Amino acid sequence: MNFLRGVMGGQSAGPQHTEAETIQKLCDRVASSTLLDDRRNAVRALKSLSKKYRLEVGIQAMEHLIHVLQTDRSDSEIIGYALDTLYNIISNDEEEEVDDVEEENSTRPSEDLGSQFTEIFIKQPENITLLLSLLEEFDFHVRWPGVKLLTSLLKHLGPQVQQIILVSPMGVSRLMDLLADSREVIRNDGVLLLQALTRSNGAIQKIVAFENAFERLLDIITEEGNSDGGIVVEDCLLLLQNLLKNNNSNQNFFKEGSYIQRMKPWFEVGDENSGWSAQKVTNLHLMLQLVRVLVSPTNPPGATSSCQKAMFQCGLLQQLCTILMATGVPADILTETINTVSEVIRGCQVNQDYFASVNAPSNPPRPAIVVLLMSMVNERQPFVLRCAVLYCFQCFLYKNQKGQGEIVSTLLPSTIDATGNSVSAGQLLCGGLFSTDSLSNWCAAVALAHALQENATQKEQLLRVQLATSIGNPPVSLLQQCTNILSQGDKINRRGSKIQTRVGLLMLLCTWLSNCPIAVTHFLHNSANVPFLTGQIAENLGEEEQLVQGLCALLLGITIYFNDNSLESYMKEKLKQLIEKRIGKENFIEKLGFISKHDLYSRASQKPQPNFLSPECMIFDHEFTKLVKELEGVITKAIYKSREEDKEEEEVKKTLEQHDSIVTHYKNMIREQDLQLEELKQQISTLKCQNEQLQTAVTQQASQIQQHKDQYNLLKIQLGKETQHQGSHNDGAQMNGIQPEEISRLREEVEELKSNQELLQSQLAEKDSLIESLKSLETSSGMNEQSSEAASIRDSEQIAELKQELETLKSQLNTQSMEINNLQIEKQELLQKAEAFAQSVPVPGDSEKIAAKTTDVEGRLSALLEENKELKNEIKSLSEEKTAIKEQLDSSNSTIAILQNEKNSLELHIKDSKKEQDDLLVLLADQDQKIIAIKKKLKEAGHPDEEEDELIIPVGQDDEFDEDEDDDKNDIEGDIQL
Amino acid sequence: MAYAYLFKYIIIGDTGVGKSCLLLQFTDKRFQPVHDLTIGVEFGARMITIDGKQIKLQIWDTAGQESFRSITRSYYRGAAGALLVYDITRRDTFNHLTTWLEDARQHSNSNMVIMLIGNKSDLESRREVKKEEGEAFAREHGLIFMETSAKTASNVEEAFINTAKEIYEKIQEGVFDINNEANGIKIGPQHAATNATHTGNQGGQQAGGGCC
Ligand SMILES: Nc1nc2c(ncn2[C@@H]2O[C@H](COP(=O)(O)OP(=O)(O)O)[C@@H](O)[C@H]2O)c(=O)[nH]1
Ligand SMILES: [Mg+2]
Repeated sequence: MNFLRGVMGGQSAGPQHTEAETIQKLCDRVASSTLLDDRRNAVRALKSLSKKYRLEVGIQAMEHLIHVLQTDRSDSEIIGYALDTLYNIISNDEEEEVDDVEEENSTRPSEDLGSQFTEIFIKQPENITLLLSLLEEFDFHVRWPGVKLLTSLLKHLGPQVQQIILVSPMGVSRLMDLLADSREVIRNDGVLLLQALTRSNGAIQKIVAFENAFERLLDIITEEGNSDGGIVVEDCLLLLQNLLKNNNSNQNFFKEGSYIQRMKPWFEVGDENSGWSAQKVTNLHLMLQLVRVLVSPTNPPGATSSCQKAMFQCGLLQQLCTILMATGVPADILTETINTVSEVIRGCQVNQDYFASVNAPSNPPRPAIVVLLMSMVNERQPFVLRCAVLYCFQCFLYKNQKGQGEIVSTLLPSTIDATGNSVSAGQLLCGGLFSTDSLSNWCAAVALAHALQENATQKEQLLRVQLATSIGNPPVSLLQQCTNILSQGDKINRRGSKIQTRVGLLMLLCTWLSNCPIAVTHFLHNSANVPFLTGQIAENLGEEEQLVQGLCALLLGITIYFNDNSLESYMKEKLKQLIEKRIGKENFIEKLGFISKHDLYSRASQKPQPNFLSPECMIFDHEFTKLVKELEGVITKAIYKSREEDKEEEEVKKTLEQHDSIVTHYKNMIREQDLQLEELKQQISTLKCQNEQLQTAVTQQASQIQQHKDQYNLLKIQLGKETQHQGSHNDGAQMNGIQPEEISRLREEVEELKSNQELLQSQLAEKDSLIESLKSLETSSGMNEQSSEAASIRDSEQIAELKQELETLKSQLNTQSMEINNLQIEKQELLQKAEAFAQSVPVPGDSEKIAAKTTDVEGRLSALLEENKELKNEIKSLSEEKTAIKEQLDSSNSTIAILQNEKNSLELHIKDSKKEQDDLLVLLADQDQKIIAIKKKLKEAGHPDEEEDELIIPVGQDDEFDEDEDDDKNDIEGDIQL
Repeated sequence: MAYAYLFKYIIIGDTGVGKSCLLLQFTDKRFQPVHDLTIGVEFGARMITIDGKQIKLQIWDTAGQESFRSITRSYYRGAAGALLVYDITRRDTFNHLTTWLEDARQHSNSNMVIMLIGNKSDLESRREVKKEEGEAFAREHGLIFMETSAKTASNVEEAFINTAKEIYEKIQEGVFDINNEANGIKIGPQHAATNATHTGNQGGQQAGGGCC
């Protein structure tokens, strides 16, 4: 406050004095007037003065304005004016516009003004709570200035305001609702408010994410047309970045919420080139950065790798690679895309494999890696782009033995494309290594070093590489060519800093020789190399040469530390003596220390990305700084060690190696077991599935069994009841519940059927006797021809009727035998059940016998009670139940067999019936013959005409008969005429 | 991955009762004897199956200290389920349950399912709170109850899954307004797909979902 008064006193002496009075008067009206209209007008007047007389209004009116916010909430207009006024006082936004015109030095105090007023405002934390509650007001004139005011407060004193919001109940959640506001202005300013709210506050970032911020922001971005959207998209992306950067919990949530998939359409920019507006470039840049936030090498390894996998699975990586190979993409977008692809593939085998398979759409198609490397060794390409390509190449090779092998193999004699049609990665790297552009030298050396990183096989393979120099001269090895350039480097005229070439080559050699005694031997084999190194280190050169000296010391140190004493002249001990004689131990160690003391060393050691302020700063590679850290100590120790200690160490090393091999053995074992574990896990999960299915089956079966049990119980209860019933009424016939009734019913039916059958049989007998009588008629026909004539006509009619009757009888027989069949089955079943229920109590076979059995009812009763107990026991055990069911099944099988027999016998029955019918037909035929014979006899007797007339007349006389029985008549006629 | 529903959970309770270990055991199936003190809130997620439906659980593990209480409160409203954890070897953590419950009830939506968990059941010899006491407290306050061990993984799955089942049942009963995401429930793409066409089940969309 003192400061403010000072500023006010100093700046505004004369003319503002009257304004101060006016403001004071207005403040008094706001404070004391009882009329709302009056207060509202006063606040409005203050608002209009607040921009011009920001300081005065701020000092005099703030507390009154806050009071208005507290007491006049019902009138949104006055609240709106009060918030506007407060915003004008606190915000620097308006000031800045004025500042542009005014002198620069006035910016400082006005910025401080905003902070000072903010400090006053938040001295009462309730003021923030009050503001938060006002934001729930839907009225545009309240909510909008409220949002802007809070944003301003956050911009001035972020941490303090954040803390107040964090502890006010639901504070953050309420602010999240702004994103759902249908009025775009408020939604957009809401995004800005959330940006300020989430800045560097992990706790708030998490709450905002919890409140579905990702979903909402991604929706807005989609609605606005992704990268083609306006500044809102940019603001949303900045907010997303706030929420995700360095916030592992939110990153995990983002990945688990499947939001990575929603990023893919951002990069569907297509080749049609709808133009690259500045906004689109900005948006796309932020989008790429957001991808990088999720896969940053500084994230926990597990987090990054799961995001990398998700990015491949949803096609995001593929989409990025399309941009990589597209034409017309602005250089900075292309550069950032390369950096993004780099981090999406880094250390992730699947993604690296995919990247290796990407081809540029050129003719013939070239691998993307080759196309990119061409840019790296092309000095006309922008520096940042070349760095990006190097990063991409490094990321491709990081923890990628397969990729390393493929790159090195393009240099080996056996695989070099003899036709020379297509450029290989190896050719480009060699070209870069020995070009006249020092940046290309450095990049190619570092790139090649990454192909050897932690890969002993490739270090040895690379020793095989031979280079053709000038025509006529023998080929020289790649290793030798590197050292040649090192020692003769000064003679070649190069673009750029000479130091970069040498530093690059030395880093390559150090990487190559470390952990590779064979390479060390190769290096030492050239007798020029060691003197060159000792010469470099020993010389007293200028400051700029110190780094090279340090690197030479490191290389010499490596040749000692990784020396397997296979060369007589350059055994460990000899080299150490050489150092002592030519350089001096202390001097050597001091020179070695130059490396890590270099200005640019620590910057490179922080992040894997080659990120240099300028091309001159391109000195250290990140992986190389790791190597230095690892070797500096051990080499220093090795130099100081005596011969005895060396021997000891040798032994220790040997045992260590043994240990190592044991460890590798176990590692392999663990890997195998891991695989097995994985398999077993899968098996378990499938078994779990099966188990679940089986369990449901079991529960189903259990419920079925329960049902059976229930039925069983029900029957048992019925049985019990009936036992009682029987006890009191001496009615033995009902002891088996429903069965006796059914059995008796069945019995009745069987009786009925039997009588039916008997009836049929008697009918058949009648027919037989009829035939018999016909026969006798025939024999007497000779004596009484007249009567036999009539009889024969009657006969033929009767035969027809007989035939029909026989037919119906036959079908009746059939259906009845079927019925019998069914009934017998039923009966059998029921009998079975009855048996199961009562073994000791005999099922009353015949209702007539029941009466006789009433005497031993009591005996049976007790037997039944015992039976009851038995049944109870049975119910208790499920397995017994099952066996009972099985038994039932068996007995039903036997029933089926019985029924089969029954059926067979019925079939026989039917056969018999048929036979009977046939016999009848034969009889009928006989009868016919006889009738014919009679006819003949009649003719012979001398009544041929009469016979015919008389035969025809009765038939023709009856018209009805004639029509209905036409066929029969014809048959009969035919028969007769025969 | 496609899911039918998404539920948001929070884990609350005094510091040191094993909240973070429970989450780790549930999401990663491992136990970390020395666990960092949770600062603020940490996130974890896992897919489970209920009634043949894939359900995604998003879980926020909170810090138990008093100083983080106001931060924790911000998570109540948007959660569908809460695991309220105490340590059976420390009676004070049991005594504080009432305070936790009041806080939860005050700031959450009324339908939030609360599961009471007595953790560290593997430390039987050091038990200070009887299982019956936990049961009684749960009965009295209408909570589901379980004793768990984040160390041996005993009942850990069950605790998370039973809470989900309870929420799922509430959805089936129509108690939860599933269209209001503020309740901590979201309908997933899988659900929408199966609703739209019945044949969607055989479609390739779900092929990646796997069976378990
Ligand atoms: N024996 C045992 N120790 C546990 C169990 N759960 C957690 N702990 C230990 O309790 C301590 C606190 O666990 P932590 O998860 O960090 O508690 P938080 O503060 O509630 O998140 C750690 O040392 C754990 O190892 C359990 O179930 N059994
Ligand atoms: Mg914790």
